[in-house]
Amino acid sequence: MTEPILTVENLTKWFPVKRSLRQVLRGERTWVRAVDGVSFSVNKGEIFGLVGESGCGKTTTGKLIMKLLEITDGKLTVKGRDATHVRGSALAEHRRDVQMIFQDPYSSMNPRFTIRDVLMEPLEIHKVGKSESERDAWVREILQEVKLSPPDEFLVRHPHMLSGGQRQRAATARTLMLNPSIIVADEPVSMIDLSTRAEILYMMKQLQREMGLTYIYVTHDLSTARYFVDRLAVMYLGRIIEMGRGGTVIDEALHPYTKALIGAVCEPVAGRVNQDKDVPIKGEIPAATNIPPGCRFHPRCLYAVRECWEEEEPTLVDVGGGHFVACRRYDEIRRLGPAARTSEASLGVRRKNASA
Amino acid sequence: MRRDQGSQLRTLLREFRQVRFGMVGAALFVVFLLIVACEPFLLSYGEVNSRWRDMLYWADGPRYALPVWVNWFTGKDYAVSQVLEPEGLSESQVGTMRIVSMDFPYAFQAGRPPKDLVLKMTITGRVTYSLLVERPDGRSMTYQKSTTSTGAQELRISIDQNLRERVFQMMASADDPAVAATKNPKQIDAVPILFGEAKPGVLTNPEVVQGTYHLRLQVALASDEARVDKAELIVAGGVSGLLGTDGQKRDLWSGLIAGTKWALIIGLLTSLISVIVGVIYGVTSGYFGGWVDALMNRVFEVAVNIPLLPILIVLSAVFKPSIWLMIALMCLFFWTGPVKTVRSIALQIKENTYIEAAHGLGASHRRILFRHMLPQLVPYAFASMALAVPGAITYEASVSLIGLGDATVVTWGQILFDAFSSGAVLQGIWWWIVPPGLAIAFMGMTFAFMGFAMDTILNPRLKTR
Amino acid sequence: MEKERVLEVKDLELHYFTRKGVVKAVDKLSFFLRRGETLGVVGESGCGKTTMGTALLKMPTPPGRIVGGEIRVDGQDILKLSENEVRRRVRWENVAMVFQGAMNCLTPVYTIRKQMRETLLQHREMPKPEIERRMKQYLNLVGLPDDVLSRYPHELSGGMKQRVVIAMALFLEPKVVICDEPTTALDVVVQAQIINLLKDLKAELGLSFIFITHDLSIEAEVSDRILVMYAGRIAELGTNDQIYGPQGPAHPYTQRLLAATPRLHEEVAELAFIPGTPPDLVDPPTGCRFHPRCAVVMERCSRDDIMLREIEPDHLVACWRCFHD
Repeated sequence: MTEPILTVENLTKWFPVKRSLRQVLRGERTWVRAVDGVSFSVNKGEIFGLVGESGCGKTTTGKLIMKLLEITDGKLTVKGRDATHVRGSALAEHRRDVQMIFQDPYSSMNPRFTIRDVLMEPLEIHKVGKSESERDAWVREILQEVKLSPPDEFLVRHPHMLSGGQRQRAATARTLMLNPSIIVADEPVSMIDLSTRAEILYMMKQLQREMGLTYIYVTHDLSTARYFVDRLAVMYLGRIIEMGRGGTVIDEALHPYTKALIGAVCEPVAGRVNQDKDVPIKGEIPAATNIPPGCRFHPRCLYAVRECWEEEEPTLVDVGGGHFVACRRYDEIRRLGPAARTSEASLGVRRKNASA
Repeated sequence: MRRDQGSQLRTLLREFRQVRFGMVGAALFVVFLLIVACEPFLLSYGEVNSRWRDMLYWADGPRYALPVWVNWFTGKDYAVSQVLEPEGLSESQVGTMRIVSMDFPYAFQAGRPPKDLVLKMTITGRVTYSLLVERPDGRSMTYQKSTTSTGAQELRISIDQNLRERVFQMMASADDPAVAATKNPKQIDAVPILFGEAKPGVLTNPEVVQGTYHLRLQVALASDEARVDKAELIVAGGVSGLLGTDGQKRDLWSGLIAGTKWALIIGLLTSLISVIVGVIYGVTSGYFGGWVDALMNRVFEVAVNIPLLPILIVLSAVFKPSIWLMIALMCLFFWTGPVKTVRSIALQIKENTYIEAAHGLGASHRRILFRHMLPQLVPYAFASMALAVPGAITYEASVSLIGLGDATVVTWGQILFDAFSSGAVLQGIWWWIVPPGLAIAFMGMTFAFMGFAMDTILNPRLKTR
Repeated sequence: MEKERVLEVKDLELHYFTRKGVVKAVDKLSFFLRRGETLGVVGESGCGKTTMGTALLKMPTPPGRIVGGEIRVDGQDILKLSENEVRRRVRWENVAMVFQGAMNCLTPVYTIRKQMRETLLQHREMPKPEIERRMKQYLNLVGLPDDVLSRYPHELSGGMKQRVVIAMALFLEPKVVICDEPTTALDVVVQAQIINLLKDLKAELGLSFIFITHDLSIEAEVSDRILVMYAGRIAELGTNDQIYGPQGPAHPYTQRLLAATPRLHEEVAELAFIPGTPPDLVDPPTGCRFHPRCAVVMERCSRDDIMLREIEPDHLVACWRCFHD
């Protein structure tokens, strides 16, 4: 099972920033470079994670794949067909193939709709099913599939009458209505109670196995990603900086940014309360309008050397076993560990640099 | 899908019943519909629809008469307007002449004299008639007149100078001669004096005498063809009808009832059409954004800023003014009302994730507009309809002023407008202003209540509170 | 010797009077907080943890009302004080709260200086230079430079805004600071920074914290003792070691909550979860409130009301299993 079902090459999305009169007169344009050259491919039946902090472009990437946004540059291939600029019936087909679960289960369903309306909608749009009763049967079947049973009880309810977990199940059911092959799940559990999070993820995994689905799991939460995904890509400022098997990326992280992210994660284990967390990173994320030259991570990197900002941006290189990293010094860092640091700033000394 | 929508409608109705003010609104609406349906039975002047502006039709009534129920609170103070039919009708032959005699006994019980007594009859051929007025205290007066003019004859005590003179002669003896000498018999205010108590001061400050006043009419018919028909005595009292009369002596109750259907038609049709157009316009503009929005905004601004009056004047010169034309014109200008608000609501709605989700499912713009966005605007649409209803009614009234009003119909707005233009406010003619005003307010409330009820039902999140 | 108790809560009851009925959001809660200690409060949404937080300031959200119990701040029961006295002497002076999403409640049209000054002036009269000095002192304390004062909220990042809000809570030198989900809206890196900040403040100023969150992994990092709430009651209360240590928590609810918390460096085939939803507090289950969702339920669990009992020093549990013999 190594045939890629989805490939993006150099995917780019730049949003224009509203200009002041002075900028218009001078002919200046500024862009938010939300996604700035992202390439990866996802195999059929795989769960691919896109991880990063807010503003890193992971959700935008998901929406570009969904064709909810126009692609500025690059190429999107789904099932071997170029889907970069599809329109009309090709777009309709793309919509049936690629579905999305949104982050906020409270606003992703029209509050005026009953669950039945919500689930019927995709069928009505794509004129699926010969008769009303056939559609109805299908809706019930899918509701069973996402464990919202008995269906009769849920069909007549409005979204606000469901709990967060049930809502996300209903949202999942909606994506399944059209028998898609790829589902983009944008933080599907981040707004759900911890106790039910695992339940939703478990259900999604089961569905994936049963129906041969491919997921693109967009999240900021490394811990659930570790459990959920097959492969993982860490994004920073619109680029993938590290990619590989989920466990590999987390346990053998090479990129300084990935290391910092992992250091920042809280873990439910004893003995942490009396020590500060060591988060090897400095400063804050720069604005996407003003991406630093050279390696875009260098201003926050504790390992940055002169080449990092003077020379071209490093690209993803294979370090073996399908593990890619975009860092000039990854090998030194791997060998020397913290000794390779060039800057002493660290969050252990948080006060002095929080505003840098 | 049909069956589905039917059950949706049933659910809606069931939920509607649970909202109390919604039911109040619905009840008011039913009342208005009933009024329209029962109009023929409710009108006290049957031809009010066609002859509202016909001065002759209303000529006999009292001017500025209060509603009759005012007497319930003031202890039978005002004389009630009424039409008396002749009694003791008899005919006798005196020589070549036939004499028709009749009596109009008027049982006067009020605390104030009526405004006028009008004797009406239709005469054919050459006749001479005499009127004998007998007061309860025995004083009387006679008045004679010959005429050959065929047609309606009327004697108005308040206007006819000869009658005034007779009244003066009858009552002057009771007053101080010095006072009587200062009065011009033809210029007195005859009606109060006729009903005044025979004592000094009757000419200047009469106090009423209650009792039965007889007006005996004798008509001498000089030829065979001569006839007298339809004799009646009209007492124009201080109170008249359920809602009194206006400055043109028109019965306001009849006017109000006749105006109900037009209020419903003008209000509903104008607000319905303009709100539908406005809401769709606003939501389209907000949803698409970008250059579509910019263009639609400019068109909207032009529409808002067109001065309506000159256009109406030009159009009235081209077309024959009619209520339907007016409704059409009002729609042309009323649709801008909800646009700005709807557009801003649409801008908010379209930011919701479920709009994006619908896009992701492949929903067309039309589907998103009509399935996802417009239903949320229904409450607002109802509310702005409710607001547009009174607006349309009063607007119709002011448009009537410039000659564009449809003279063939009676509307609340026109009644109200007449009231304002004849200074009813300054004169304190409250019964000319309050009823049509209340009627308009109730009509607006009806729609407002139903609008709010729809809001609570269609906004499921509010119900959880 | 045991440290002094800055806050002691006894049988606290807070009910919401709604149309559907009386919601017993906080039901006979008793616990205490020692000086210089962080007490973590965890539970699913709707278990009453935020409600409990606002009750400690004696400002329940309507239609909630405190219907019984005691809240002793430095030995004095604030429920017996008048609203005026609470405002003058307790709220913000002794007990401060960082509300959930407070950083998004900074007024966008005023500078940080103006907003901080307003807070200060509402409680203390102070000469201008003193105010200025104090504002800078507290900003520095939370790791922000002086020039933040003249900036507007939109010019600051989420982490900086959260620091400003924390600085404002510390302003009047309270003894107890209640933090309600102070890190949920923040990215992991910033979250770690804020956690480090709170730890430092505790160490340097001897502050006591009540840290409310739904995430057991955050509590592991910040809290000395952890209070697990379920359906308005305490399920378990124990030290960090007792909850996260090798022997694991005692209450089945805590156990399952912990099992449902994913761990970064552990490969698991399947995550555990707790089936079902928290009960409706208008009509809570009889006996142990967790029994309908409990995997190790016994016959008496649904029958007999369960009280919190100490199973070892500092470790209290409300579970029949633990007293089973």
